[in-house]
Amino acid sequence: MTTTNTVTAPADRRVSKAPVSDGPPRRSRFKPGAGRQHHAGPFAYFALVIVGIGSLFPLYWTLVAASRTQDEILDTTPPLIPGGNLFHNLEAAWEQANLGKAIVNTVIVSSSITLATLFFCTLAGYAFAKMRFRGRGALMTMVIATLTIPPQLSVVPLFMMMSDIGWGGQLESVIFPTLVSAFGVFFMRQYLLEALPYELIEAGRVDGANNLRIVWSIVLPVARPAMMVLGMLTFVQAWNDFFWPYLALNQQNPTLQVALGQLSAAYVPDQSIVMAGALISTLPLLVVFVIFGKQIVGGIMSGAVKG
Amino acid sequence: MATTTPTRDAHGRRPDRRAPKPMTPGRQAWRSRLWRFDDKASPYAYIAPFFLVFGAFGLYPLVYTGWIALHKVEMTGLDQMEWVGWENFSTILQDSEFWTAVTNTFVIGVISTVPQLMVALGLAHLLNYKLRASTFWRTVILTPYATSVASAALVFALVFRADGGLLNWVLGFFGFGETNWVNGHWTSNIAIAIIVIWRWTGYNTLIYLAAMQAVPSDLYEAASLDGASRWQQFRNVTIPALRPTILFTIVISTIGSMQLFGEPLLLEGGTNGAQGGTEHQYETLSIYLYNYGWNLGHLGTAAAVAWAMLVLLLLIAAINWLIGRLARKTAA
Amino acid sequence: MRITRTVAGRSRRTAVMATTGLTATALLLTGCGDSGSDSEGADANGNITLTVADFGQFGYKEAGLFEKYHELHPNITVKANTAAEEPVYYTKFLQQLNTGSGLADVHGIEVGRAKELVDTKADAFADLSKVIDTDQWVNWKALQATTDDGKVIGAGTDIGPMSICYRRDLFEQAGLPSDREEVAAKLAGGWEDYLKLGEEYKKKAPKGTFFMDSASAMYNGVVSSGSEQYYAKNGDPIYKESAGVKAGWKLASEAVDKKLTQGLAQFQDPWKAALRQGTMATVACPAWMAAQIATYSGDKYKGKWDIARTPGETAANWGGSFLSVPAKGKHVKEAGELVKWLTAPEQQAAVFKAAGLFPSNKGAYDLPDVKTAKLEYFNNAPIGEIYAEEAQIIPAAVLGPKDGVIKDTFSKQINNMEQRGTSPDDAWDAAIKDIDKVVG
Repeated sequence: MTTTNTVTAPADRRVSKAPVSDGPPRRSRFKPGAGRQHHAGPFAYFALVIVGIGSLFPLYWTLVAASRTQDEILDTTPPLIPGGNLFHNLEAAWEQANLGKAIVNTVIVSSSITLATLFFCTLAGYAFAKMRFRGRGALMTMVIATLTIPPQLSVVPLFMMMSDIGWGGQLESVIFPTLVSAFGVFFMRQYLLEALPYELIEAGRVDGANNLRIVWSIVLPVARPAMMVLGMLTFVQAWNDFFWPYLALNQQNPTLQVALGQLSAAYVPDQSIVMAGALISTLPLLVVFVIFGKQIVGGIMSGAVKG
Repeated sequence: MATTTPTRDAHGRRPDRRAPKPMTPGRQAWRSRLWRFDDKASPYAYIAPFFLVFGAFGLYPLVYTGWIALHKVEMTGLDQMEWVGWENFSTILQDSEFWTAVTNTFVIGVISTVPQLMVALGLAHLLNYKLRASTFWRTVILTPYATSVASAALVFALVFRADGGLLNWVLGFFGFGETNWVNGHWTSNIAIAIIVIWRWTGYNTLIYLAAMQAVPSDLYEAASLDGASRWQQFRNVTIPALRPTILFTIVISTIGSMQLFGEPLLLEGGTNGAQGGTEHQYETLSIYLYNYGWNLGHLGTAAAVAWAMLVLLLLIAAINWLIGRLARKTAA
Repeated sequence: MRITRTVAGRSRRTAVMATTGLTATALLLTGCGDSGSDSEGADANGNITLTVADFGQFGYKEAGLFEKYHELHPNITVKANTAAEEPVYYTKFLQQLNTGSGLADVHGIEVGRAKELVDTKADAFADLSKVIDTDQWVNWKALQATTDDGKVIGAGTDIGPMSICYRRDLFEQAGLPSDREEVAAKLAGGWEDYLKLGEEYKKKAPKGTFFMDSASAMYNGVVSSGSEQYYAKNGDPIYKESAGVKAGWKLASEAVDKKLTQGLAQFQDPWKAALRQGTMATVACPAWMAAQIATYSGDKYKGKWDIARTPGETAANWGGSFLSVPAKGKHVKEAGELVKWLTAPEQQAAVFKAAGLFPSNKGAYDLPDVKTAKLEYFNNAPIGEIYAEEAQIIPAAVLGPKDGVIKDTFSKQINNMEQRGTSPDDAWDAAIKDIDKVVG
């Protein structure tokens, strides 16, 4: 992924008092801002339609290309509606690129990373948001600083390490480095900072709950909406991750993105087969997007503001 | 609720508060020590997983990269390291291909970031109006974000093809001849920038939209009392309020362009893609690193490339900090 | 509020919590464990799947050999993963050898990589001399995959005797002879004649067509006809001064200068598309190239292609491959048997017949399938006749560890001359610089 989910962070702090859709109901200090009071004119809709077409067309064209033959795609007048070759191409892609295994692998990788990220980041986010301990500020700064380190800087030793401990080419090698995410810690901290009142924790303490118990029965329920969002963002990112998996994995044991990269370089006569592979790798996420689009949009926006 | 936090320091007083039933003094002391330990240790235990994983797979490799960069390490013998000092660094610094990659990374970074953020700003402004089906629009513009680099690069590869590409076909109606997009220096960089713009504009739009919605409306009311037009409001209220956000998205996009890999790798694909084009015309730093380490098999040199990237990042950070300071000064 | 439940609940909740954590961990670990074993081991009935990883041109699919092997050994299914470009394949293959994971049961090795693998990675391969009698091969072929202490890491599949593949219909339209004997006669003077023929073609070339696909193909043809190519016998790289390289480069520059080429990098997508669109009149054609041309050109041009003898008197070998069995594969023994079978005379003959890849196993040369082989796609060109003679006199080339990369780099710079008008001198300098980077 090019730009990581980090886009939120500290610079926004000044404007960080906005209402957050996922949080518990809270009185906002400000009325909604900017152009809200204005209705959008026809020009706005026109512009949105144009942008919308631009956003969706490449995806639509993936489908068109995947359902045609190479000759048709490269014809002097390219086709603009799907053809009848889809299943043939899907089958060819499936056969050539080990896609069945790739799907299983991708599901394993994405869900492991998502589960672990949710668990560890909520814990850490809670600690940073609501617990006092020595070095908290400095450690939090460190977490934020790690947001800016691109994975490129450490792939060489990572690659050597992985082959050294026998994880080379194994799913472990792509799962473990991404078990936690600085963005996740930061996201959960920002959320819990406002959504979790100290009174609630205090009440738990009065009842004699230890820290772990407080996490379980107070923090987690409060954090659930933010965890949903973080989970989806993490899942999307893990599903689409390319750079490190491409270096670490291989054709015999790929994730979908790796398989797709390999398929594009495979001995197949047709680009339409490659596009069929692209379709397979994109479709599951698009489905998720259609179902949870609202939540994901809300999540990105709340993460942004709270940054 | 959250604004009043009198019990912020609730931790210290606990042991005496919880004593539901009388205990023997020894037992009580033991329990209270346990509680205190629980309080002291828990936060560290909660953040430990993050730092352990980051230490093992982030920080340690980062530092170790520097050590590897001083050695000759070959893909054909990963366990043999031969000390060569600064040789790897002088190799890449004298390699014109390295500077090509730096330039390309910078160029693609600029021509993808600037239009992207400007469009995002405009779109956010539109979405900030009262809209029918506002969630629908937001989801639509975010859809490219759900597409992987690989899929996006491959479909755009078809769009940008020289022979039978979609874009050339469209441009043909406007009287343009066939352009070999991947072959030219500028055209290939533009092609990659367009993939980046396509994938990330929606995301940045939502970030800006969120920031816009957080601008207090009294500011606008005051401005319109002063007779400011909508455009003046946008320029004089919205933009200044968004300045930190804008600055931050610029930084992040810059770091993002440092990571450009899948787009150049798959735009043409195959061996050409792995070298950033036959004349390295669209080779980015990430591709250069990959090519050195994984194609040529010289991992030591690849590590040196990684550190060179780190230095560039620090430079960018410093420049950003300076600009931020200047901006604050002029604002004040 | 939830928390008002009393302390009694604590241990249970802790237990639940711990269980969740453990389950998550277990899920992670089992998930990984599963995925670790990539080729499914033998199932209850002893059925196994052997994977063959290769690139481009092995011809097993065309000859239906994997299905046939399955018929002979019903418990074994063979699956192939094939990359279009060898360099892409090799990059990954080296990684797999290094990490010992993700390896297929059988891996193809291109001749340009053989030396590097023999020198640095011999331990990672099973010794095929224990399974296969290596005396069956033409001598130089077997030696290329043999270490100093006699270990054999690869069994020869094909060799690449040169020929010229050409389009009969385009030649006719351009007023050239289209009969393969006549074409061969026009090329009798060597590669210079090939260029001359190109100039003739260009004068009356059908619109939108080019004489050759890429000058890099011709360059490789020229270089492979020498015994000293990129390395001297003592192992020193000589790519800067090698006579073959110089000659090939000069001819290639000339071809570019005279605009005889379409200038498409071989095996890449535009090249494949051009084959399909039928815009190239000739391709310098080592035996294995025929299979690629047939695959990519498709049914439309069946029978329109033909094959003529290589220019001049010199025999050349471009490419050709080996099959190897990585020692860390899942089914080393079964894979060894498969390799033995695939490289045996009968199977090599079948591949030759179906796809035109010329056998490296001497035993195949006497088989009627080889002697009388005709390639249907290529207007029934008698490839048995065309190649057999040449194969006898192919010089034993000196191999070097980086042959593959050097060849690819020169080819790439020739493409640059074609596509972007880089001057021959600049292209040469760029090539040398890139190669120094690899060899150094």
